[in-house]
Amino acid sequence: MSRLSRSIAVAALLAVLALGAGCRAAGTPEPSPNEHSSTELIESPKEFDGSEIAFAGEVIGEAMKRGDMAWLHINDDAYYVKNVEEGAQLGGYNTGMAVWLPADLADRVTYFGDYKHEGDIVEVEGVYNAACGEHGGDTDIHATSLSVVETGHVVVDKTHPAKTAWAIGLALLAVGLCVADRFWLRGVRGHRA
Amino acid sequence: MLLRPRLDDHRVIGKYTGKIIIGVGLLMVIPLVTSIIFGEWDTVLDFVISIALCMIFGFGTQILCRTDRDLNWSHGLVVASGSWVVATILGAMPHWLSGHEGSYLDAMFDVMSGYTTTGLYLLQDLDHIAHGLNMWRHLLTYAGGQGIVVIALTFLFKGTAGAYKLYVGEGKDERLLPNVVHTARAIWLVSLTWLVIGTALLAITGMALGQEPVRALLHGLWVFMGAWSTGGFAPQSYNTLWYHSLSYEVVSIVIFIAGSFNFALHWAVWTGKRKEILKNVETVSFAITLSLTVLIATFALAKAGVYPDAMSLFRKAFYQLASGHTTTGFSTIYARAFVTQWGPIGLVATTIAMAIGASACSTGGGIKGIRMGVMFKAFIQDIRKAVSPERAIVSAKFHHVRDVFLDDGLVRTTMTITIAYLSLYGLTAIVGTLCGYDFLQSAFEGVSAASNTGLSCGVTSPTMPDVMKALYIAAMWLGRLEFMSVFALGGYFVTMVRGR
Repeated sequence: MSRLSRSIAVAALLAVLALGAGCRAAGTPEPSPNEHSSTELIESPKEFDGSEIAFAGEVIGEAMKRGDMAWLHINDDAYYVKNVEEGAQLGGYNTGMAVWLPADLADRVTYFGDYKHEGDIVEVEGVYNAACGEHGGDTDIHATSLSVVETGHVVVDKTHPAKTAWAIGLALLAVGLCVADRFWLRGVRGHRA
Repeated sequence: MLLRPRLDDHRVIGKYTGKIIIGVGLLMVIPLVTSIIFGEWDTVLDFVISIALCMIFGFGTQILCRTDRDLNWSHGLVVASGSWVVATILGAMPHWLSGHEGSYLDAMFDVMSGYTTTGLYLLQDLDHIAHGLNMWRHLLTYAGGQGIVVIALTFLFKGTAGAYKLYVGEGKDERLLPNVVHTARAIWLVSLTWLVIGTALLAITGMALGQEPVRALLHGLWVFMGAWSTGGFAPQSYNTLWYHSLSYEVVSIVIFIAGSFNFALHWAVWTGKRKEILKNVETVSFAITLSLTVLIATFALAKAGVYPDAMSLFRKAFYQLASGHTTTGFSTIYARAFVTQWGPIGLVATTIAMAIGASACSTGGGIKGIRMGVMFKAFIQDIRKAVSPERAIVSAKFHHVRDVFLDDGLVRTTMTITIAYLSLYGLTAIVGTLCGYDFLQSAFEGVSAASNTGLSCGVTSPTMPDVMKALYIAAMWLGRLEFMSVFALGGYFVTMVRGR
């Protein structure tokens, strides 16, 4: 085996080991609570366009009020009951629907999903638009009702003791090397002078 | 005969790579402070660990690789491309520690996508990530847009002759000012001015659209970074569909089109030469090819009756095509809508726009407008030669800051890089097809990765085969650095093994 072939083989082995390390096992993701999930609505726009549907999921981000109306974003993905920060297993991208509804209905939402919150799970009823004429061709649901199925909650931002120990240890090593570099540099310069 | 690099060569490369990685570590202080402000303590630890690792690498190489030698051309190319790899490996640490990535490869994919201003991502549950991590995602793309070497040149380097070689190695060759460090600072002056104005405009628009002031400011900053760097990352999984607003779309379009322009053009306008916008070959080329691709997509969408009225039709077509052509990757439609609503002609039009891409020496990717202009002029020149008398001298020129005459060397270089891009596009499309995806969708996604665009039709996902993830990482890297410095890095490793 030539030196080049050996080097390529070693590099490939190291690459496989490096990439294989750190793989997180995928569990069974939480299925969508809807008869027709957001994925189905996006995959078959013509089939559902203009139809009355019920759509449930976690409200995320914020309510953006525009006069008497508001925009909500409702996710029916693998994280609508429990998100990754709470320990949910990875289950792919977020998916959901934008919902246009009266602002007073949006006021019923207490928690919006983000890093520190699991949002309220709500169910809305309304008309699905694959390309809404009123909203510049956006895919949305114009809802006329909203009910809170389950109120969300605050997610505790836990720090792991092992991570803290690693952070302290590595930070000390980094500071040590920085000081050594500065000290060494000064020593060399002093010596040259 | 190949000459094996000597110890002093390794030292020079190690020293400068270390400096750039220290720069990456310093950059992480911004998301660290963001997490401290918002009390995201677990994320704070992620960034402390990551900063420490960057500093250990950076100062470790400074200690091990002491040398007074300056960089030569091959060193500059190897440092530029090699530092992007090391910066990707270490920059992926906060992503991986967050628990939102399926593997370290996925984390590296996202970071390379950020640095190269691509915008494809594999991070899962984006809607629940910390502000600190979101800041890091967008900062990656903003810093990558200017170039991580440019950052290091600006803050960490003294004006050595070798600095210019690093700068060129990162895919930039415009010298705005005689000194390359001053050029790097000029790029930052332009970018930071746009940052302040663009963020303010987006934040004010966000508040008018119903966002709370703090969220409006954060979204404004992040969307600005995604737009100006032509990166395409957005703070929510809905991308710019989140805002449901024509005004937000208009502001973001202005920013990402400006971001896609050559820094030399920005500098010309900055120094008072405003007519350059109308005369420059890249802006002319961009206007023509964007109009053509928008026309094709609009025609196809109108024929299919996807959108209910002309305004919606034009708004959607123009936004996606402008985003694709500038290699930004912002989208106001769902990724799968490219397949389920836009259909084959819409996919092809968008693929062509992405393949052509933005301007040279900008934050964007793709073949670039200047190369399209040069090839078109060379084609016309050849036709004129064919119909002119044999002894006639037919010259051609184009305008890019100044008038430039076409010569065979320039045309050959242009063709070489264009063929390299086309080969890379072809390779990603073929591998995608071999992995079981539809050819058109594979071509769309492969071109999106290699041209550093970031629009997706649904092929890119955490469940995508690892071979495609690795190929896309390489394609993003090659596309961003425009091949030569990556080839130089490959050559460096070959000479290490086979040289004498």
